Amino acid sequence: MSDIRPFTMPKWGIEMTEGTISEWMVEEGQAFSKGDLLCLIETDKITNEVEAEFDSVLRKRIADVGATYAVGTLLGVFAPEEASDEDVEAFAGGYKAADASGSAGKKSAPQAQAPEETPVIQTNRAISPEALKFAQEHGIDLDPIIGSGRAGRITYQDVYQASLPAAQPVLKGTADLAIELDAFFASPLAKRLAKLNGIDLAGVQGTGPKGRIRKDDVLALIKPAAPALAAGPFSPSPNPAKVQRMDRIRKVVARRLTQSKQDIPHFYLRMTVSVEALLALRKTANLVLGVKASINDYLLKACGMALAKHPAVNIQVHGEAIHSFDHADISVAVATQSGLITPILRGVDEMRIEQIALASRDLIERAQAGKLGHADLEGGTFSLSNLGMFGIDQFDAIINPPQGAILAVGGVKRALVEADDGEAAFESQLALALSCDHRAIDGAVGASFMATLRGFIEQPETLFEHSC
Amino acid sequence: MATMLYRDAVLQTLHAEMERDESVVVLGEDLVGGMGTAGGPEAIGGIWGTSVGLFDKFGKDRVIDTPISECAIVGAAGGLALAGKRPVAELMFADFIGVSLDQIWNQIGKFRYMFGGKSKCPAVIRMAYGAGFNAAAQHSQSVHQMLSGMPGLKVVMPSTPADVKGLFTQAIRDDDPVIFLEHKALYGVEGEVPDGEHLVPFGHARLSRAGEDVTIVATGMMVGMAEAAADSLAEEGIGCDVLDLRTTSPMDEEAILDSVEVTGRLVVVDEAPARCGLARDVSALVSELAFASLKAPPQAVTPPHTPIPFARELESAYLPSPDKIVAAVQKTLNWR
Amino acid sequence: MQLSRDALLQAYRQMRTIRAFEERLHDEIMKGEIAGFTHLYCGQEAVAVGVCEHLDHEDMIVSTHRGHGHCIAKGCDVVGMMKEIWGSTEGLCNGKGGSMHIADKDVGMLGANGIVGAGAPIAVGAAMSAKLDGKGKVSIAFSGDGACNQGTTFEAMNMAVVTNAPAIFVFENNKYSEHTGFEYAVGTNNDIVSRAEAFGMKVWRADGCDFFEVYETMRDVLEHVRGGNGPAAVEFDTERFYGHFEGDPQRYRGEGELDRLWAERDCIKIFRQRATEASLLKSDELDGVDEEVLALIDKAVDDSRAAPRPTPEDVQRDVYIDYF
Repeated sequence: MSDIRPFTMPKWGIEMTEGTISEWMVEEGQAFSKGDLLCLIETDKITNEVEAEFDSVLRKRIADVGATYAVGTLLGVFAPEEASDEDVEAFAGGYKAADASGSAGKKSAPQAQAPEETPVIQTNRAISPEALKFAQEHGIDLDPIIGSGRAGRITYQDVYQASLPAAQPVLKGTADLAIELDAFFASPLAKRLAKLNGIDLAGVQGTGPKGRIRKDDVLALIKPAAPALAAGPFSPSPNPAKVQRMDRIRKVVARRLTQSKQDIPHFYLRMTVSVEALLALRKTANLVLGVKASINDYLLKACGMALAKHPAVNIQVHGEAIHSFDHADISVAVATQSGLITPILRGVDEMRIEQIALASRDLIERAQAGKLGHADLEGGTFSLSNLGMFGIDQFDAIINPPQGAILAVGGVKRALVEADDGEAAFESQLALALSCDHRAIDGAVGASFMATLRGFIEQPETLFEHSC
Repeated sequence: MATMLYRDAVLQTLHAEMERDESVVVLGEDLVGGMGTAGGPEAIGGIWGTSVGLFDKFGKDRVIDTPISECAIVGAAGGLALAGKRPVAELMFADFIGVSLDQIWNQIGKFRYMFGGKSKCPAVIRMAYGAGFNAAAQHSQSVHQMLSGMPGLKVVMPSTPADVKGLFTQAIRDDDPVIFLEHKALYGVEGEVPDGEHLVPFGHARLSRAGEDVTIVATGMMVGMAEAAADSLAEEGIGCDVLDLRTTSPMDEEAILDSVEVTGRLVVVDEAPARCGLARDVSALVSELAFASLKAPPQAVTPPHTPIPFARELESAYLPSPDKIVAAVQKTLNWR
Repeated sequence: MQLSRDALLQAYRQMRTIRAFEERLHDEIMKGEIAGFTHLYCGQEAVAVGVCEHLDHEDMIVSTHRGHGHCIAKGCDVVGMMKEIWGSTEGLCNGKGGSMHIADKDVGMLGANGIVGAGAPIAVGAAMSAKLDGKGKVSIAFSGDGACNQGTTFEAMNMAVVTNAPAIFVFENNKYSEHTGFEYAVGTNNDIVSRAEAFGMKVWRADGCDFFEVYETMRDVLEHVRGGNGPAAVEFDTERFYGHFEGDPQRYRGEGELDRLWAERDCIKIFRQRATEASLLKSDELDGVDEEVLALIDKAVDDSRAAPRPTPEDVQRDVYIDYF
């Protein structure tokens, strides 16, 4: 058994990954001696003869002429006459690549030949010992290497470079000479940075020799100075916990949100709507109405009207009962010093914009002053949470039980869109995400609500129809 | 801004500074030219045309035409400087420095230090250097690498007429000994020169091309070659910082390091061989202080370690060229 | 003799100071307390003093590696010199120069010089400056019978003649350039100053061991040069009492040579003899000067031992006035 040996696709050079059998010189069952030619193997660089390294018999020829095999793939099995066919077959069948990364079959596999001896490279070129060692260990062809050492001696660096794939430099290209800043006594990089960041060098006191403005002098004006770091390794400041008991509101919020996230199967419907028209209309409408209605006020109005059209979304879930409502009582999430509060604007679907604006401002002011009563917080059929003013693009909110849905609103963004005429244009957009309680609201129901909502927002004149 | 030749910037600066400060004295061989001949004083006016009209205007005690005695010329400049004058000595060819080396190296460069800082030596030693005229091994050399290695000396290598004015004025007014190297192939180069007083402080490199891929450091005539290389590379989208060092002692290490920290690649072009010279000096500086920024080994584009050959083909093979610089830049970019 | 009694005493004091300074150095060097190379001027005092007693601080001199005598004669502070040789920051050159590079521009001393023959061109430059200033000041290059063979000296002499600079080349022939005899090394029939003559200068020759002869000769030389007649040269026959450098075994000396020199050619002994014989000065006056001088040298050495030492930070100081 021990004389059964695998014949695998050899690896000539670090870049060889596969080879093609171009000709077999021995037939299956044929004996050969050390030095005999076994086959010809072609790579994308060369065609090489494979010589036998010992005497044996080619008992099994696996690789086909013309086929390509990955380095390490079993090409055949060598075994002496006395080895049984069964043993040879078993060996071939049970042959496993030493290299785990190889996959089965053609173009696969096993690094077979027992611990491969480092090939000896014979060269009469001048080469450093470490370079030769590296070349032998990694099978690097020395011929194409131009020695960079004295009189063309090949250095370790030369061979190492040859072993690496070609460079793919990422070019940054030319830069601004900032010639107009030549009158200033500043280092070249300082001038470039000043121009790039619009820093006026006239006021800069240089810290370089003879007052030359240095890179650091300009950088100091670009970003606030970092706190001076003490020398030596970083040692973290003590960071003890400051324990603070939750207040009542925080406890309620925590309990309700935990309950919501644990009990309610949330799903989320996200969409982006154009607010181009809404923004334009808001300007004139606010002038006409004499109030400063915010985007949020318009969104409340749109939600109220959409909820009135989609009572299946305007709901509360109590156990196994679903309560639906004719009018939209919308909880507005307000951040206060003591935490999140959701006071309710009632009958939003019937309110006019200016009424919403006044009422919401009143609610927000009272919330922040801590002057909300129980009535302001109890009930509600829907929630709206807007974090756009904090620069948030988009987010998902947790449903405010027992309500069935909450709308999360991000900030207004300018986005590139295809205009009606096919040209590129910028438009102001808003990202909306509706969180729904799947126990009561199905996807299609939520989606239908969102479509209506989009209609009101993108055709904002409809928001005034009701109140006219 | 007036347009003038590099050579005329030298001449006009001398006129201006001698008018401004009567302690400025010039001396050198054939500075007046024609002394003791039938042609009479000013028959030549200096072989480079950089001293025309001085003798007539300032007289023989301030425009001292000397015999061919380089050692005595530099030594006398040292004596004049110690005695309180501002001598500007001309050695004609930088190659002749060998004859006067003791006075440059052991004397004027060391007075201040040896004397405990109690005297100054505001001497300028001018000399024309550089290859390009097939003047062979004794009239073509670049000597800055040797002189920059001598503490106590400052070494200046202007590459443009504007810098000639700014750096030469600074050199004359500087209180330390200054070697002022004028490239003879640049004498006929024209450029804009600022009007009025124009001083360029030493140790303040000039960025003449800006790019973020490779840093090319050069001096003197090599600056133009580096710019030509940078311009052709820019067409391929490769951006090069070309830093004209202006002075090799002091050297603007900060500008070099700042640039390499952006590009990560360095090519140093020098007209003197790399061994023990500026090219390896800058490479070593960067290897030592900006190793973390390097994406490829620094490359030196320099002549081989040989004397300067005579024949046209040999001299151009000897010298750096824009093509050689481009190849070196490509090598840094293709580093794996 | 036109020298006043005070002037004579001053000249003696100067010569005696040089002698005492150097003999003390000789002892201290033997003790190993002083670093570096030291070359003693001992034996040539009459030349330095006989020349410099004619000069003021605006006249300039450039000296040699054997420069202590020129420095003292020109007016350098003796304590500052001693501190310099001790390597103190209070030395005349802040401990940066040592014995071979003592300089004091304020007294017109443009530096001793470690390079043989390097001083002459510098002196010519200083002479050019003096000429430009037009105040009748001169510049003197001290050279020995070694420096006279350097090309720099030849270049300098020629350039001084060509530019008509008020330079004086003082050649002190002490018979030895380092360890080589002048009869071997000076090719012009052992005559140094004839070279200057060949360049077209007016020249003088005198016995450098006789202060009075040196002084009288220099009066003529200076009258000639201050008169705008161009450079001049003078050769003084003098003696070196110690080796080329301290520690030199002096195997080149002849049998009994040094004894004979001390007995017959000691310029201080000759001065005392002539001054007392002519009743210009009394012996006890001169002894009094000796005592004062020795006390000064004691103080110089004591002060030098106590003087502050340089720190590593001083290494980089004063290379340039303003580098960056």
